[in-house]
Amino acid sequence: MLKLERINAAYKDLQVLWDVSIEVNEGELVTLVGPNGAGKTTTLKVISGLLKPTSGSISFQGRSLRKESAHKIVELGISQVPEGGKIFTGMSVLENLELGAFVARARQDKDRTLKWVYEIFPRLEERKNQRAGTLSGGERQMLAIGRALMSKPKLLLLDEPSFGLAPILVDQIFDMITEINRQGVTVLLVEQNVRAALELAHRAYVIENGRIVGQGAGEDLLSFESVRRAYLG
Amino acid sequence: MQKKGSQVSKKIAISITIVLILIATAALPLVVKKDSTINLAILVFLYVTLSSSWNILGGYAGQTNLGHAAFFGLGALTTRLLWLSGRPFILSLLAGACVAVGFALLIGIPAFKLRGVYFSIGTLALAQILYITVGNVFPMITSLPTQALITYQLVPRYYLALVLALLTIGTAYLLVNSRLGLGMMAVREEEDAAESLGVSALQHKLLALSASAFFAGLAGGAFAYYHVGYYPQFPFTPVWTFDAVMIAYIGGTGTIVGPIIGGIFYVVVKELLALKLVELHLIVFGVLFILAVLFLPGGLVEVWSKIQTAFARRARGQEAQAALPRDTGI
Amino acid sequence: MHVMLVQSLVFGILVGALYGLAAVGLSLVFGVTKLLNVAHGELLMFGGYATFWIFTLYGVDPFLALPVTMIFLILIGVIVYGLLFARMVKLSEETKIQNTLLVGFGLSLILQNLALRLWTADDRGVTTAYSGWAFTLLGVRFPIVRVASLGIALAALGALHLFLQKTYTGKAIRATAEDWEAASLMGIDIHRIYLLAFVLGTAMAGIAGALVSVGYSIEPNMGLEWTLIALIVMVLGGLGSIMGTFVGGIVLGVTQALTSCFIGGTYREVVGLLIFLLVLIFRPQGLFGAKER
Repeated sequence: MLKLERINAAYKDLQVLWDVSIEVNEGELVTLVGPNGAGKTTTLKVISGLLKPTSGSISFQGRSLRKESAHKIVELGISQVPEGGKIFTGMSVLENLELGAFVARARQDKDRTLKWVYEIFPRLEERKNQRAGTLSGGERQMLAIGRALMSKPKLLLLDEPSFGLAPILVDQIFDMITEINRQGVTVLLVEQNVRAALELAHRAYVIENGRIVGQGAGEDLLSFESVRRAYLG
Repeated sequence: MQKKGSQVSKKIAISITIVLILIATAALPLVVKKDSTINLAILVFLYVTLSSSWNILGGYAGQTNLGHAAFFGLGALTTRLLWLSGRPFILSLLAGACVAVGFALLIGIPAFKLRGVYFSIGTLALAQILYITVGNVFPMITSLPTQALITYQLVPRYYLALVLALLTIGTAYLLVNSRLGLGMMAVREEEDAAESLGVSALQHKLLALSASAFFAGLAGGAFAYYHVGYYPQFPFTPVWTFDAVMIAYIGGTGTIVGPIIGGIFYVVVKELLALKLVELHLIVFGVLFILAVLFLPGGLVEVWSKIQTAFARRARGQEAQAALPRDTGI
Repeated sequence: MHVMLVQSLVFGILVGALYGLAAVGLSLVFGVTKLLNVAHGELLMFGGYATFWIFTLYGVDPFLALPVTMIFLILIGVIVYGLLFARMVKLSEETKIQNTLLVGFGLSLILQNLALRLWTADDRGVTTAYSGWAFTLLGVRFPIVRVASLGIALAALGALHLFLQKTYTGKAIRATAEDWEAASLMGIDIHRIYLLAFVLGTAMAGIAGALVSVGYSIEPNMGLEWTLIALIVMVLGGLGSIMGTFVGGIVLGVTQALTSCFIGGTYREVVGLLIFLLVLIFRPQGLFGAKER
C-alpha cells in the first residue's frame, strides 16, 4: 500500500535520512521504532509531504507521492497525527474535528464519521463545545487522533501518541489504536515506547541514525538481541 | 607565491584607484564651474554619508532602523538653530551630531529591547513622533539671512559634504575591520550565540547606533548649511530614511562600497529620469529596491563581484574558486 | 464646553470605526500569513481613489460603488500577493517579516507615486448631495455620512467575523493562522488560504479607504499615516480578535479626539504613536497575540 524506496532527506544541508526503505501493506499495523533523533518524525514528514526527499521514490497505492503537496496527500487518504498532537487550541473540540474532515471526500460523510469517532472516543463528545486548549494531555491526544480519523484515512500515521502521557493513558491510547486498526485502517506507528509498540504491531522497523537497521515481526524483534539491549534494558 | 604577488598588486591597484578618486573629487570644483554639476556632487556625498551611516547599524549590526531620518533631522535642526543664531558653523555642526548621538543613546536601551521587525516599526514610530512634533514647534520656514545669502558660496558646501562622506566611509571601514566591528557582525548573524561567546549584544548595538546617529547628524548639519530655505520639519520626513535604506540595499548592505555605488546610482538615475519623467523615478527606485530585496540580497556589489569572478575564472580556468568575501571586503 | 467634549468623543468614535476596519485587514493578513504588509495604508488609499474615480467619472453613489471598489482592491491584492508576497511565505519567520517589511516599503513608494501621477497631490474627497446632511441630538452633531460609515464598518466586520467563525473556509483560515503545518495535515491548501487572507485584508482596506474618501479626504501621502494607525490599533486590540481590533480602533479614535480637545489638534497623531511605543516596549512578546513569539 505504502512503499518508500531508498529515501534520502535533509533539512537544508543536514542529511537526516539515508536510503530508508519501508513498506506497509493494507490492513497492517506497522511500527517504526528508534531512539530520539533517529529520523522517525522526518520519515513521517516525508510521507505526509511536509518534507520533500532529496532522492528515492515513495508511492501510495501505486501512485507516486514525490511531487504531491501535503494537502493533496491527505486527499489521497493518508492522515498524520503529528508529534504532540498539534491540535488547534484556540478552537473548539468540534471545530477541530470538523477541520479533520476538510477534504471534499471526507466532508460529505462528515456526520457519519463524527459518530464513529465519538464511539471510539466518547470523551470527545462530552467535551465537543469546549475550547481545545482546555483539554488534558490524554484528551488532546484523543482529539488529535480523532481529528485525523475524520478525514477517513486509508493509512493513519501516528507520531509518538504516547509521549508525555501517564502509563494508564498510554495503555488506553494503544488499545484504541489497535481497535482503529481492527476496523480496517492501516496504521504506521512511530514510537519511542519500544516494548509497547512491538507488542502491538504486526511488523516493525528499527531506525538508527537515519538508517533502517532492522526489521521483522513485532514479537521477533522483541527477542532480537540488539533491540533488547538498546531499548528494553 | 604567485597568488600572494597578485594580491599585493591588487592592493596597490586599489590604493591607486582610491587616491585617484580622491584627487578627482578634490579637484572637481576647480575644473568644473557649472553649479548644477557641483550641486549634483553635493547631493551624491550627502546620500552616501546618510546611507553609509545607516549601513553601520542596519547593514553591519543587522538592526533595520526605520527612524534614521530622526538623526538626520536633529542634526539639521540643531546645526541650523545654533549657526543662524551666530555660533561658529563647525561648533554648530558638531553640536548637531552630538544631539543626534544623545537622542540615540536616550532611545537606544528601550529600543533595543525590541528585536527584528519590532525594532524597525518602533524606530519608525519614534521618528514619526519627532517629525510631527518638530512641525508643530517650528511651523515657520527657515531661511538664510540676507547677509548670508549675499556671501553664499557653493564650493565650501561641496568640500564639507565631501569631507563628511570620506569621514563616514573611513570610520565605517576602520570600525568594521576592528574587534568591535566583528562583534557587531556576530550580533547580526546570531544574537544569542554572540552573547554566549561573551559579546555584549546591547553594547555593540548601542555603539553601532551611536556611530550611525553621529554621521547622520553630521549629514543633517551639512544639509542645514547647504539649503537656503526649508521647513525645519523637512529633514525629519521619513523619505530620508527610505532613501538611505534603498540606497544601501540597491548598492549592497553590509559592505563599504555598497552605499557609495548606491548613492551615485541613485542620484544619477534620479537626475536622468527626472528630466523626462517627473515622479516616475521613485516608482523605478521602488521597483529596483524590491528586486534587490527579493532576488539580489547583495545588491549591485554582488553583481560586480559575480562578474569579476566570472572573468577571473575564465582567465585562470577552473583553478581558483575562492569564496567571495562579503562582509569585510571593501 | 460639555457639549464640545461629547461632540469630539462622537467624532472620535466615528473615525475610530474606520481605524478598526483598517486594522482588521492588516491584522488578518499578519495573523494568517505572518507577513507584515506596510503598504496596507496605500492599499486603503487606492480604495479611496477607486471610489473617487467611480464617483467623478460615472457619477455612481460612493456607497453603492462599494462592491466595485472591493473587487478592484481584490484584484490589486491578487496581483500584489502573487507577484511579491507569495515568494516570501516560505521563508523562515524572522527573514520573512524582515523582507516583507522592506518589500512593503518599496511597494508603498510605488503606489504612492502612482497615485501622485494619476490623481495629483491635491486633497480629494467625494462630495455627494447628502454630504452636508447631519442630525443633531442634544446639541451634538451627527454627520449622516460618517454615521452611515460606522454602520458599514460594523456590517463589514460582522460579516468577516461570521465568515471566519461559521464557514469551513473561515475555519481553515483560523486553523492556518494557528499552525500552518497542522493545517496542511488537514488537507488544507495553505497557499490558497494565504492568498485568500491577503485578499480579504485588501478588501477590508478598500472599504475603509472608500469610507475615508466619503467622510474625510484622501491624498497620495496618506498611506504611512494609515499604516501606522493600523499597526497601533493592531497592538491595542491584540491579534486574532475582530471585536478586540474594532474596540482598539475606537479607543484610538477617542484618544485622538481627547488629545485634540485638551492638548491641541496638531498632537493627535503623536499620542497614538506614544501609546504604541509604550506597549511595544513593555510587552514586546505579547504584542501581536501571545502565541506569535
